[in-house]
Amino acid sequence: MIVHTFRKEIKELWRDGRVRIAFIIVLFLTAIAVFISTNHYKNVNEQYVEASANEREVWDNQGEKNPHSAAHYGTYAFKPKYPLSLIDQGVDKYTGTSIFLEAHNRNEAQFIAASDQTGLARFGDLTPDFILLFIIPLLLILIAYNSITKEKENGTLTLLNSQGAVGWKIVFGKWMAIFFPVCILLSALFLITGLLLSNLPDFGVFSWASLFTLLVTYLIYYAIFINLILIISASVSKSGIALVLSLSVWILVCLVLPKAASNLAEYKYPYPTRQEFSENIAQDKKQGLDGHNPWSKAAKELEEQTLKKYGVDSLSQLPFNYDGYRMQKGEEHEAEIYFKHYNYLKTQYSNQNGIYQKLAAISPYLPVRFLSMAIAKTDYNTHWDFSDAAENYRIETQKFLNDHFAEASTYGEWGFKADADFWKQLPKFNYEPPSLSKIIQTNTSSIIIMLVWLVGSFTLLFFTTKSL
Amino acid sequence: MLRYNFKYEWLLLIRNRWIQLLSILLLLLFGFAVYNGIQKVEARQNSIEAAVTELKTQETATLSVLDSLENGHKVSVSRWRLPSRPVVIGNSLARVVNMPAKSTAFIATGQSDLFTHYVKPTVTGDDLSMSYTEMTSPVQLLFGSFDLAFVIIYLLPLLIIAFSFNVLAAERESGTLKLLASQPIRIRTWVLQKLGLRFFWLILCISVTLLLVFVIFSFDFTANWTSLLVLIGYIIVYALFWFVLAFATNIWIRSSAKNAIALIGFWVLFVLLSPSILNQLSNSLYPMPSRTLMLNQMRTLKAEATKKQDKILDSYLRDHPEYAINDSTQTRNFYHKYMATQNLVKEELRPVVEKFETQLENQHQWAHTFSWLSPALTVQNALNDLAGTSEKDYQEFRSQSLEFAQQWRDFFLPFMFNNQKFAKSDYKNLPAFAYTYKEDATHLRILGLLGISFMIMLLVFLLKPMKQKISIV
Amino acid sequence: MIRINNLTKTYGDFTALDSLCLTVKEGEIYCLLGANGAGKTTTINLLLGFIKPTLGSAYINDINVVEKPKLTKNHLAYIPENLMLYPSLSAIENLDYFSGIANKKFKKSELEAFLVEAGLQTSAFHKSVAKYSKGMRQKVGIAIALAKDAKVLLLDEPTSGLDPKASNEFGQLLQKLRQKGVATLMATHDLFRAKEVATTIGIMKDGQLKQQWSVDTLSLKELEDSYLETMSYNSLQS
Repeated sequence: MIVHTFRKEIKELWRDGRVRIAFIIVLFLTAIAVFISTNHYKNVNEQYVEASANEREVWDNQGEKNPHSAAHYGTYAFKPKYPLSLIDQGVDKYTGTSIFLEAHNRNEAQFIAASDQTGLARFGDLTPDFILLFIIPLLLILIAYNSITKEKENGTLTLLNSQGAVGWKIVFGKWMAIFFPVCILLSALFLITGLLLSNLPDFGVFSWASLFTLLVTYLIYYAIFINLILIISASVSKSGIALVLSLSVWILVCLVLPKAASNLAEYKYPYPTRQEFSENIAQDKKQGLDGHNPWSKAAKELEEQTLKKYGVDSLSQLPFNYDGYRMQKGEEHEAEIYFKHYNYLKTQYSNQNGIYQKLAAISPYLPVRFLSMAIAKTDYNTHWDFSDAAENYRIETQKFLNDHFAEASTYGEWGFKADADFWKQLPKFNYEPPSLSKIIQTNTSSIIIMLVWLVGSFTLLFFTTKSL
Repeated sequence: MLRYNFKYEWLLLIRNRWIQLLSILLLLLFGFAVYNGIQKVEARQNSIEAAVTELKTQETATLSVLDSLENGHKVSVSRWRLPSRPVVIGNSLARVVNMPAKSTAFIATGQSDLFTHYVKPTVTGDDLSMSYTEMTSPVQLLFGSFDLAFVIIYLLPLLIIAFSFNVLAAERESGTLKLLASQPIRIRTWVLQKLGLRFFWLILCISVTLLLVFVIFSFDFTANWTSLLVLIGYIIVYALFWFVLAFATNIWIRSSAKNAIALIGFWVLFVLLSPSILNQLSNSLYPMPSRTLMLNQMRTLKAEATKKQDKILDSYLRDHPEYAINDSTQTRNFYHKYMATQNLVKEELRPVVEKFETQLENQHQWAHTFSWLSPALTVQNALNDLAGTSEKDYQEFRSQSLEFAQQWRDFFLPFMFNNQKFAKSDYKNLPAFAYTYKEDATHLRILGLLGISFMIMLLVFLLKPMKQKISIV
Repeated sequence: MIRINNLTKTYGDFTALDSLCLTVKEGEIYCLLGANGAGKTTTINLLLGFIKPTLGSAYINDINVVEKPKLTKNHLAYIPENLMLYPSLSAIENLDYFSGIANKKFKKSELEAFLVEAGLQTSAFHKSVAKYSKGMRQKVGIAIALAKDAKVLLLDEPTSGLDPKASNEFGQLLQKLRQKGVATLMATHDLFRAKEVATTIGIMKDGQLKQQWSVDTLSLKELEDSYLETMSYNSLQS
């Protein structure tokens, strides 16, 4: 019976001009979106490679210099773009792409793409994720809103019942007829994307496993949507009402709730403003050790401790340049302050995340949205990960420079200059993004919520259609 | 006919609980949106206020130190932090260059979640390193804000669609159309009247609930009644557009489900797709040069400039003989070199920076030209302008604050190069900043939207001429 | 008065109505009999201006329905097979609305008088019509016709689905209107009711008027026989 219904539904859908046109429009839009995203991805990647190489060259060729001057001169860490960002751009547009690494300061990522665009950018981009998350569910509504109501309206349902058909089996046949075309289409699109990506010259971290996980995520998302639409179609008697209800659900789930969640999150766990944030850090820094200020209380303490530790009377007797040593201690202290303040930001964000997850109980869009970005490595967590990696590299760089200053010069020798090829010894910044299994681990809650949605909506569908 | 339609449309809407449902829904949506908007504006104003208060305390402290210094008392401040050094004042007492919220700012979040509302340009700081982006969770930026503009632009059309998609088709489907059509009336006029009446009731509902929400959140009506009128005007024009579309589909398409699908299609096209396509196109047509490559350029320039610091200072002083002459000590230190270099780098980087600005301006111009393709865009722009949160406002703030930053530096330059001490009496001469909103007339665009509505109306009558029948059976 | 001259309606190759000529004078009730698809409803829709004729002309009170459809509707009333009213309004409100948009304004007492005349029970006047039976809705339809002071009444299968008592009541109502000088054209399957109320009876088949009698000239049995004969003769021929 399931197979019969499936065949009949597929036939009916194919004959429906509306569905065909809608399908073609969606395909066309997807093609445009993929084309644009591919170009964007290539451009950004080229820029990334060029900028990283240039920056390293500037660093390597800075000539003879005091290591601490070099530390102030600093270097940049550039954020790479990952292959799956082709499918989901995530928050990439709203996070900076380069972090300036210098002495004493942890800097925020600079150059948010959205701030370099017109207000139009806030409406969203025509990217594959936009189509996957918004437009395809809409297409599903268009295909499925009347799949049960029309049987009621035409009276064919009574006929089916009189033939001894079982409600849920009919519905399951219909379900398959809606799901399969989408499933096949989506798999084909993802396959093409995968082939496209693996054929790009520097495809780097592309993995088929990630792509497959992403595909499964979206298929689950659509399964949930089909369930919801069919539940509505089975519970009301008129197609018009089913359509309006399904659309209301879509609006609520995809548009209203995410926005409301974002407002709620900001209201309950606000971020400090940029100025407040830096002021707080400056305040903390003032009270602690400043590498440049040997007269502060903290500096005096350090001096005494160091002298005691090495059992000498004066700083010049130390086996290293105390200026460099103090500079490094100051750096470590400042790094701690930054760690503390950035941790506060992270706590605020994880609290905000809690709100998103609570609201995910009424919006399946939210867990899928977060999961999709995470798998595509374009989510906020990946950005944090990158920013932390850059900070670690900055701390290591400072240590590398200060240690050289301390070891290769003597106390008071501020005129010391490191060799011109010393800079090349600094290891390159190499950022490894979190692996798929790590991503899945950090997003378990989203996955669980999504699966609860899937199972829950299936169960509800089964019970509402058990006897039609 | 109008009198009877008026009377009975009202009865039907009340009895079918449309008016009640609509009022409650609007009240909730407007209430939540305005509440959110006001929260944001309050946070913004508070942060500015806190910064100003902080600056005031710092000022009093600094001034008392200056006072002690001038009276020859001893002060416990390290030598290079003495407030008599102009560079210290110029850096530590940097003004809170702020952009206070308009009284209507709560209407549209616009770009206010992306950009900061105050900066503190210092005398040694450079323009490029001044960050104008706000520290916001990018997830929030991605999802956007539930503000009044969102309710108006995204949700209102959907309410209108639900309210009007089946005005004619429902009569046909329920069978009342036959009886209606046997009366001596023109069906087209009847549909027009019916939709017109629904439009009227909707606008009344909107106005009343909006006023109610504004009263609840103690909006200052006496000072801002014009903004309120403008806001309601925008809503009317936008709602009219959707009603006209509904009229067209009602006339053309028979079944109510197809009407709904067609109208939702228009909604997706105008609200979701066309802005994102326009954005995509503007990015492709006027691509932003790479910021990362700009960084490279800037760093190379700076590195070169630093190497030639002495030369640069010399030539700078040659260009500015007034500094060298007035100074009796003729001492030159790090900051002299730094300031001179800074100026040069700024000059040399100007073409690079300008490339960004022209490209953004191009994008903006392009988007502006084509924004009439999407009524949603037109109204969003208009609301952002009304709220003072449009990208133009923030650009304006950027340029006004950069101008001020230059003014601030220029104020201290003579002190620095003349090695003149900063005195307490100089304090009152410090430049002050007040942001002025630039008023641009966006009414023209809105009028254009009104024109489009009339054109659609005309098209309905032209393409479906009076003689052509609306099918009854 | 209804006058139909040579009225023809074709859809492509299909002829829905073929050169129909008939006249219904004041105080006459003309019943059109025929199977489904014989052209009865097409005739009524043409008279209402819902569809346009391919050929020929029709007049309501000597006004051409094709040229001045709006004007003719001042003189006619129409009761479709399934008369639908606004379910959330009461009978009196429906009556007020439909006569109101036809530019006839009445006081409440006048409206009630029309409903009384149409035979609707007083207790139902102010109740929502959602729960009205078909017969009750038709009475409201008649009241609308009365309020409009219509000179022509077009009825499409008015008695289908009515119980015998309601059908009988409806027949009496039509007689009342006939006495007022209303010209009535009624499409029906119901031979018995047609014989009861009609002054003239016509039988249609394949868009053509096959036979026409004055009702006094034949009995019900004769009517049934010739109806069946017309039907079988034609189907044999085709």
